Amino acid sequence: MKHEIPVEELGVRGPLMADPIAACVHCGFCLPSCPTYVTMGEEMDSPRGRIFLIKEVLEGKLEVELAQPYLDNCLGCQACETACPSGVRYGELITEFRGRVEPRRRRPVAERARRELALRTLPHGKRFRAAARAGAVARKLRAAVPRTVRPMVDLLPERLPPARPLPCRFAAQGERRARVALLAGCVQQQLDPEIGWAAGRVLARNGVEVIVPAGQGCCGSLAMHSGEAEGARRLARRNLAAFPEDVDAVITTAAGCGSGMKEYGALFLGEPEEAQAGALAGRTRDVADFLYALGLAEPPPALACPRRVAYQDACHLAHAQKVTAPPRRLLSAIEGLELLEPAEAGLCCGSAGIYSLERPEVAAELGERKARNLLATGAAILASGNIGCLTQLQSHLARLGHPIPALHTVQVLDRAYSRTL
Amino acid sequence: METADLFTELRSLGLGERLLTGDAQLAAFGSDALTAFHQRPLAVAVVESAAEVAAVVRLCHRRAVPFVARGSGTSLSGGSLPVGEGIVIALNRLDRVLSVDPDARTAVVEPGVINLAVSAAAAPHGLAYAPDPSSQSVCTIGGNLAFNSGGAHCLKHGMTSNHVLGLCVVLPDGEVVDLGGDSTEHVGPDWTAMFSGCEGLFGIAIEATLRLVPIPESVRTALAVFDSLERAGDAVAAIVGAGLVPVAMEIMDPLAIEAAEASVSPGYPRGGALLIVELEGEEEVVEGELAAVEGLLRDCGCAEMRTTADPDERALIWKGRKSAFSAVGWLSPDYIVQDGVVPRTRLGEALREIERLGAERGIRVANVFHAGDGNLHPLILFDGREAGAVERAEELAAEILALCVELGGSITGEHGVGVEKREYMKLMFSAADLALMEDVRAAVDPGRLANRGKMLTPPPPAASRSAAAA
Amino acid sequence: MSALLATDVAAVQEAVRAGRPLLPVAGGTQTATHPDPAGPVRALDVSGLRGVVDYDPAELTFTARAGTPLAEIDAMLASHGQHLPFDPPRLGEGATLGGAVAAGVSGPNGFAAGVRDFVIGVRFVDGSGRLAMGGGKVVKNAAGFDLPKLMAGSLGRLGVMVELSLKVFPRPAATATVRFPTAGLPAGLAAIAALARGPVPVSALDLTPDGAVTARIGGDAGLIEVRAERLARSIEPRGEPLAPAAESAHWEEARRFAWVGADERLVVVPAAPRRVLALDADLHRRGLHRRYGLAANVAWIAWPQAEPAAELSDLLAAQAASGVVLTGPPLPEPLIGAATGGAFARRIAAALDPAGIFAGSAPAAGGAR
Ligand SMILES: Cc1cc2nc3c(=O)[nH]c(=O)nc-3n(C[C@H](O)[C@H](O)[C@H](O)COP(=O)(O)OP(=O)(O)OC[C@H]3O[C@@H](n4cnc5c(N)ncnc54)[C@H](O)[C@@H]3O)c2cc1C
Ligand code: SF4
Ligand code: SF4
Repeated sequence: MKHEIPVEELGVRGPLMADPIAACVHCGFCLPSCPTYVTMGEEMDSPRGRIFLIKEVLEGKLEVELAQPYLDNCLGCQACETACPSGVRYGELITEFRGRVEPRRRRPVAERARRELALRTLPHGKRFRAAARAGAVARKLRAAVPRTVRPMVDLLPERLPPARPLPCRFAAQGERRARVALLAGCVQQQLDPEIGWAAGRVLARNGVEVIVPAGQGCCGSLAMHSGEAEGARRLARRNLAAFPEDVDAVITTAAGCGSGMKEYGALFLGEPEEAQAGALAGRTRDVADFLYALGLAEPPPALACPRRVAYQDACHLAHAQKVTAPPRRLLSAIEGLELLEPAEAGLCCGSAGIYSLERPEVAAELGERKARNLLATGAAILASGNIGCLTQLQSHLARLGHPIPALHTVQVLDRAYSRTL
Repeated sequence: METADLFTELRSLGLGERLLTGDAQLAAFGSDALTAFHQRPLAVAVVESAAEVAAVVRLCHRRAVPFVARGSGTSLSGGSLPVGEGIVIALNRLDRVLSVDPDARTAVVEPGVINLAVSAAAAPHGLAYAPDPSSQSVCTIGGNLAFNSGGAHCLKHGMTSNHVLGLCVVLPDGEVVDLGGDSTEHVGPDWTAMFSGCEGLFGIAIEATLRLVPIPESVRTALAVFDSLERAGDAVAAIVGAGLVPVAMEIMDPLAIEAAEASVSPGYPRGGALLIVELEGEEEVVEGELAAVEGLLRDCGCAEMRTTADPDERALIWKGRKSAFSAVGWLSPDYIVQDGVVPRTRLGEALREIERLGAERGIRVANVFHAGDGNLHPLILFDGREAGAVERAEELAAEILALCVELGGSITGEHGVGVEKREYMKLMFSAADLALMEDVRAAVDPGRLANRGKMLTPPPPAASRSAAAA
Repeated sequence: MSALLATDVAAVQEAVRAGRPLLPVAGGTQTATHPDPAGPVRALDVSGLRGVVDYDPAELTFTARAGTPLAEIDAMLASHGQHLPFDPPRLGEGATLGGAVAAGVSGPNGFAAGVRDFVIGVRFVDGSGRLAMGGGKVVKNAAGFDLPKLMAGSLGRLGVMVELSLKVFPRPAATATVRFPTAGLPAGLAAIAALARGPVPVSALDLTPDGAVTARIGGDAGLIEVRAERLARSIEPRGEPLAPAAESAHWEEARRFAWVGADERLVVVPAAPRRVLALDADLHRRGLHRRYGLAANVAWIAWPQAEPAAELSDLLAAQAASGVVLTGPPLPEPLIGAATGGAFARRIAAALDPAGIFAGSAPAAGGAR
């Protein structure tokens, strides 16, 4: 699409926005894939509309404040990228645009407070646990909690599982086939530490030595995808230092983290760490993707009783990292497991980082829609590749009165290996 | 002040928040898939019922405000471009399939339903909706109807209007009328077909009864590579001439293939031109026809051939083909796609001439088209940020259209005239033909409120009888 | 009143511009649609406007003057292995192309396609005497209003067609027919629903009120018998293929509507499968001969000439059905039953025939009925 954006004035990071806009031909193929277009049904809440609004803002034809509400509605799920035949990198566009306007943005006090609270709490284990305890109290006093903070309270789990820090190493069993470093994941560690353990065990069982580097921290994607670029860089620098270069891959188990780390290159564009960040991004692989490419040393034993499992694509795995087949193939490798596909598989469940805090109504509508589609498959277990989605699904399934277990793909594999599925 | 009144009245029809008047909202609705044109409307009414459509149109009529219907805004000719002093009526929320009658093989749908959703609703009954524009995953039945849209599989099944049995429409003054019915037969002038293809000038369709076709027992797709477009074109003529009616025959040139590969990696065999031939029907019949087609392709100098019946492989072949327009975004920031038709026996000639015209100007032209119907889609690639590039591309487009008409064809096969090709109508039609069309339009819509500025250029007042009378 | 004769376009224009009511006639087979010789409307005989203008078999299209006899077109197409897939009714020797399009109805073998699907271009003289063109000569064309399709079924009431372009299809090398001994209309309708959705595509699917179903297929000679057998076995009770001679005789008769008595009118009524039972009950009560064709998308009714057509019109209107009377003595109003088109029809007719030259513009008035 032709544009009159003063690209030169935008500096080295300019092309992150100008290129996707130029590549967009305004064909609308992305519309039906976009969760906000599907639910809201208005052009400005579609990917094509958002791209156009950003273009108008950058061209100086539209006040940024006027476009903001519609850009805020975007879940960043990148389903539109998967649908786009023209290769528009919408994810980069929206992340960069948010990163540019957020620092200058004047948000209402309460809204800003909620945002800060979320971005400062979620990535930090101790703070998160403290918040969860506070949350349990706050829930009882929900009515007294300021409205803007309420969604956050709702999101906090009833009870956190006991903390179970990962070991610094899982030794490869049998012949060593690869050596990887694992990102423990901040929120995941607190909400479901089992996932990290399951990943370690499954990889180890398949001949992969797994190290869990000390000093690592939050990957920064929550902040990055919320327009807090500077905060994200701060967090990411720790990981640049913590992760060694002499591994075959850096493994992520949460799709959101994986996609965030893969964007380190763009995050540090024009910064001194640019090259190092690009290299780390290049080594980052999702656990299912890596394991499938490596090949299972041996498939898990056949299930004693058959299980029906619905696989739900996490947006940041399917759309952002384009990993769709590997988790399905891994699950299908389990004899006795019937893999089911829900309707509207590509549609976001509404979790999307801190989105469910900032746009709770949209998030809830999508969550319920997703839960219904999953239930319609008749599955006994749900599998997905992202802690955010698993939490969101569990909460909506429970709300619909069908609390079936939602597990990470590696948890399903792990349980199959240990005959506990 | 007057605008404020209009908004108040519109809101009071029950639109409330669904009347969009903010700058960002209007900007987003300013273009369809032809972004060379952009115009913010006065307001957008996002309607949620057929009754609302009628009410909004009646109000527009009373206040002489022009209106433009919009489905998914994928028109490639500026068909859903807003009018600056008018409103856009967004129909995309009217997206229900109201009923499917498997015994009669019909479906009744709202206008905002997405083309592919009709087939999805029909599939459990072993039926499908045949017209398949490449944009079928997003375009609406209302838009299809307005443009009489086609698609790869229309070679055998015919265009949209062949599949519309009945309509309920809101005329430009708000009167609601039923046209046609639920039968494949009709008596009296075919009002339904006349409304189809009217580009929204006769008003807004609010309900359509569509014909469905059985999903065939067997489908075979052949990919054949030729060393030149001309040879591929000759192969098409040979297949048609031999009395075979494939369900689709499409040609792509290397540039179009490159774009499709960059986009969805369909893994096409490479060469000077790719011909996709699809056959469907009874198992044994398709086998026999496939053998005949293969023979003809070889006779026509096909260098490499591959056939498949595998649904996934076929889906990927078509995904590549149907992504081709948007996929040229990988090759070039801007493109104009033309949609001229030539007699299919003159395909080779037309392609050669297009190549020459492009080369003369140093402009890259990608070709991907419905070869079986002689419906060309030259994609003229340019960079709109280069000085004079748009103008040069438009000149080339004009020459290509003139060529199509000269060869006995048409300026548009399926994308419609819109704002883009208005001026070229005179290449095809005489002043008398056009005056008659304008009279018909003015009889239906004396205020010229419905989709003003599309398809027809209003003649100077004296030239038209009805204008003089008005 | 005596007929006017036009053998060229200028003569047609002149006749129209004279400003007195007239109606085009050509082959003289769809007599009910003609002006009454005793009435005020004159017949404009355009059968002299004949001849094929252009036919390129490889293109599968042709252009011919409207008065060209269908027999001539049939023969021309047949010599290149092609045909008109909508199988226009052959109601008499003189039937013309223009008449077939003006009637706008398919014959029994037109299941897969209606008339309108094949008319791609038209030249006609409107009620102001203007010669205008719509559509073109290529199979696909989206430029301008679809006037060619509008003319399909117009009965000469919107303009005098002088030239038509049509798309044609290859003619199947062989045909076969299977008769199913279904008993009773409901069973017949169920059989039709199953056959129309079945794996063997049919070109004709007829139903008689007793429930018997006759289906026809076309295609390659080598496979035709196997396919007919498959079709016959595709539903219960199974059908029996007809002997080749019997099958061609059957359809030859069917497209001539030979079963309609000499003292009866042929009335064509669009239908839909789920409306057939109710309609048939009424027709049965009146003791009418009738058949259902095109997979129960049409009722062909034989109406006694002795009875006023208005009675049938009322019967149809009560069922929300409309029809066209094709044969028998001229009727001022050959379109009967429920009105179609409403204000849309009225306005377009007013644009094309502002002075009401064409017999008071019956179909337009029909829309207004
Ligand atoms: C990548 C791409 C590929 C395409 N491929 C094809 C193809 O293969 N074949 C093809 O034919 N077209 C194709 N198109 C063009 C386009 O998709 C079609 O014209 C489609 O029918 C438009 O549908 P829409 O819902 O987007 O309509 P819109 O663009 O919203 O509207 C189109 C026109 O219809 C009018 N309209 C909309 N709804 C109604 C209604 N209910 N009543 C009356 N008028 C109405 C509008 O006013 C406008 O004039 C393609 C477009 C793109 C971008
Ligand atoms: S699909 Fe891609 S090119 Fe098309 S409108 Fe959406 S982002 Fe733009
Ligand atoms: S990222 Fe998701 S929500 Fe945002 S525009 Fe794309 S599809 Fe829509």
